Amino acid sequence: MSRNRVRAAAAAGALLAGALTACSGSGDDDGSVTIKLLEYQKARADVIEPLIPEFERAMARRGQEVKVELIADTLTDDQFRTKITQQLHSGSAPDVIDMGGTNVTGLAGAGYLLKLDEYLNGWDGWDQYYASVKDGVRQPDGGYYSLPHEASVQSLFYRKDVLERLGVDTSQPRTWDELIGRMKQVRAETGEAPMVLPAGTAWGAGSWSEGLLPIVAGTGSTLYDAESRKWTLESEGLSAAFDLYAELIEDGLLPVRDLQNPNPWEPTKYQKFPEGTITVAAQGSWGWKYDWGPEGAAPIENVREKVGVWDYPALVPGTEPYSVSGGGYGYSVSAESGHPDAAAELVKWLSSGVPLAKQLTAVGAVSPRKDLSGTAPYKDEPTLLEAERKLPGTVQPLLGDGQDQVSQAVQGATGELVSGDADGGEAADDFAEEAEELLGRPRVAK
Amino acid sequence: MTAPKTAPGRLSPRWRERGALSLLLGPSVLLIAVFVIAPACYGVYLAFTDTQLTGWAARDPQFVGLENFRHLLGSEDFLASLGRTGQFVFWSAIVGQTLLGMLAALLLRAKWLRGKGLFGSLVLLPMVVPEVVASLTWASVLSSDDSGTFNRLLAMFGSGAAAPLQDSPMLSVIIINVWRGIALAMIMFQAALEDVPDELIEASRMDGAGALQVFRYVTLPLIRGPVFLYLLLTTITTVGVFGLVYFLTQGGPGQDTELSSIYIFQRAFQYSQIGMGSAASVILLVLLMVLGLTYARLAKVKV
Repeated sequence: MSRNRVRAAAAAGALLAGALTACSGSGDDDGSVTIKLLEYQKARADVIEPLIPEFERAMARRGQEVKVELIADTLTDDQFRTKITQQLHSGSAPDVIDMGGTNVTGLAGAGYLLKLDEYLNGWDGWDQYYASVKDGVRQPDGGYYSLPHEASVQSLFYRKDVLERLGVDTSQPRTWDELIGRMKQVRAETGEAPMVLPAGTAWGAGSWSEGLLPIVAGTGSTLYDAESRKWTLESEGLSAAFDLYAELIEDGLLPVRDLQNPNPWEPTKYQKFPEGTITVAAQGSWGWKYDWGPEGAAPIENVREKVGVWDYPALVPGTEPYSVSGGGYGYSVSAESGHPDAAAELVKWLSSGVPLAKQLTAVGAVSPRKDLSGTAPYKDEPTLLEAERKLPGTVQPLLGDGQDQVSQAVQGATGELVSGDADGGEAADDFAEEAEELLGRPRVAK
Repeated sequence: MTAPKTAPGRLSPRWRERGALSLLLGPSVLLIAVFVIAPACYGVYLAFTDTQLTGWAARDPQFVGLENFRHLLGSEDFLASLGRTGQFVFWSAIVGQTLLGMLAALLLRAKWLRGKGLFGSLVLLPMVVPEVVASLTWASVLSSDDSGTFNRLLAMFGSGAAAPLQDSPMLSVIIINVWRGIALAMIMFQAALEDVPDELIEASRMDGAGALQVFRYVTLPLIRGPVFLYLLLTTITTVGVFGLVYFLTQGGPGQDTELSSIYIFQRAFQYSQIGMGSAASVILLVLLMVLGLTYARLAKVKV
């Protein structure tokens, strides 16, 4: 092949590559911008889809041509976390990502997410957010990398109808001893493990955020110190929480076999709680709609009549029953986004007024803003409004960088309890050892 | 005899041969270099760093020398995962697949067997099914609730529901991996058995050797090379088994089926500790190389 031919081939290749690159761009040639929004839960994608044209029209009225491409990629929480981390790392993530607050710290820390302070400080909607919600999403550097569009209250849901039928007291239990006594009464009647707290490796991050964390949070023991940015891995609260799990397992009150199922929420929350075999479940306020509502994963007929909510009982002396602010989903913007301004506009629009009310109602989440209780359809959801009223009084666990590693250590240690390989003390020791290994010694308070 | 003369301006046959070799091997070498050698070298480099994918530490990865290796070789979890991998490879690949594959190949060679086509197809079927489909099918069969196929069969005999994936998880995944891997063993052994002369077998039978003696003293020595080659291949591929076990148990319950491949995936991608995951991969690579050389030495073949 002559040199000229080689040059011609190289030029043709370069042209082709350029053309292909242009085709794969975000289509700015006509003056419009296209932003991609990722939803990984079907219910969220379903409610967002019809809102997109409304947003595009709203932006058009302001003289901006913004198109939104919805990427509905149905995944489990763990699958999503693994996938989005790779996408963000390789710079191929969508512009806007809707995800649980527990994911944000690690991704923000790695520099994958855009700091939103500049957009939020100039926005009047931000003033309407509950202080506890803002506190929950503030990152260790003091910045905000996600705009929460929902909140939740983590409590103990119980089957009022079943307990009443069995003659078991349904008033708020003051202490765990009192609740354990009632659960033993149920077990004696049914012969089945009567309650579920997320635990073990199969439940993934839920074993931490919906399992052990809410229990430790009410003990008053420090888990994370924002000033020193260090974790306290051995405390009275942690020991008491691991001992509690061990006691519940030893007394046959937790369904250990179901907790070892690859999808442990299915036999427990989706099967036995609706059946009434499991009578108490640690659950966020989204359970009213997302899990057990008429269009939820496992509907319970007349759920408001059959199900009630308790605060967590006090675990250590000197504390009172409490509920925990469980956080919720928020919108983050990729640091690599080519259109951060348009992405920020979308995020703010979706977190306001009717669009927000529709999302909250669809997934059964509590409003993170004070000004939404009169907005339809959210205003017609009594269970959510009731949970929102509790929100300012909930315990807000203070967490920071390294949360993923602590979560992993909790999964391992509670997994040992579930499989019978450790007692409470051993699990607490193993948790502290594993968490320190994963975090590194400098991030652990001694 | 004189050497052939080369016309002016033309390459000698020796150079032409070299050119052809480069042309034929070049693309493969390039692809292997880009997609195998370079990532492997990068993986080895990462193994000496504390690279993470998430968290504030991800912004500034540091060179940590042998720290990751020291940590892993002192980690009960990692060593236990190596032990479980050894157990999984030994029982499913070396014992299960090899013995049953050999049996299937011998049966297909037997003159008295009828329906060889159907038998061969049934053995081959598991290999044709994609890994994810195979896993999910078995997850459904062994489901712990009453609707699982296994439990329905038990119910027909009046027995209560069982949960094999929770009660005997390692045994379950071993059996499933044997089911999936017999086909390759059968194909390789069948090809090897074709090379064993019928006359030798006939002669040994006439000398009074029984079937087992014929196999032990005539057939096996003649197919020793292919058998060790298969053992080498199945060891390497079984150590790398990930999807089949991950989709069934995700390494659980607890850590009962957490093989090294799952340990590495969790460290590198779920826990985002790429440096640590890479170090675990390097250790596994070294162990596999030692095993490979051992097989090659035992087989007395050049691999």
